[in-house]
Amino acid sequence: MNTYHEAQLDALGDATRRAILSRLIDGPLPVGEIARDLPVSRPAISQHLRVLKEARLVTDRADGARRLYALNPEAFDALREYFDRFWTQALAAFKRRVEAHPSKEKPHDRHRHRSHR
Amino acid sequence: MTVTDTDRTVDAVRKTITVQTSPQRAFHVFTAEYDSWWPRSHHIGKSPMKRAIIEGRAGGRCYTEQEDGTDCDWGSVLVWDPPHRLVIAWQIDGKWQFEPDLAKSSEVEVRFTAEPGGRTRVDLEHRHLDRHGVDAAAIRTAIDSPNGWGGLLQMFVDRVEGR
Repeated sequence: MNTYHEAQLDALGDATRRAILSRLIDGPLPVGEIARDLPVSRPAISQHLRVLKEARLVTDRADGARRLYALNPEAFDALREYFDRFWTQALAAFKRRVEAHPSKEKPHDRHRHRSHR
Repeated sequence: MTVTDTDRTVDAVRKTITVQTSPQRAFHVFTAEYDSWWPRSHHIGKSPMKRAIIEGRAGGRCYTEQEDGTDCDWGSVLVWDPPHRLVIAWQIDGKWQFEPDLAKSSEVEVRFTAEPGGRTRVDLEHRHLDRHGVDAAAIRTAIDSPNGWGGLLQMFVDRVEGR
């Protein structure tokens, strides 16, 4: 098992960490803003942010004297790759299906793939 | 504060193929007969998928019938313009559950254009992927590993629910 995926699953299996991710959807925040109203101590938030960083779900950078935390756009790159592969596979199957019966202009309601219903 | 790295725009996935048939028939097979080509492994039901249905009208449901008798919605038809154009909301969240909120759903647009020689160009665009949210994105990524998503998904569910 890929440790990067394992780390992501671990990181997401926690309600506070999922709350932190939701809070970052509108843009980067300092830890004080992230912790606001969450029923968790500030050191605990920092610990959660460390886990999220290690799982590459969150990035951080210095902004003057404080640190800003942001969602890592890499997570979306991977989602995009997932759909890229999915649609390549699905459209190839669609093309095979369409061209398997090239002469049929008036499609039937029933065909062999539904015979097991 | 100037923020330069908040641009979370995710490029749409775009695919084009050409098929040897008319736009009418391509549209029909893509929608009314999508059960005949959709990858059987791709559904969100708890039992094996029996049949896949796209209801042919704006507002129509996209769902699968499962062997345990349940229906699993995964999307809805936003634009129904046969045989030219189809837009479907992709309403699956990061936990492989139906997402009723269109604002948290991505969109799949499919266009069918006649080409010389009785062929049809099919342009597919899957856009607004960022609406699924980064946690959904990460879950998808984790699930879509070479080890197969089933085991990983179960592992994720166990971890989330086992607390």
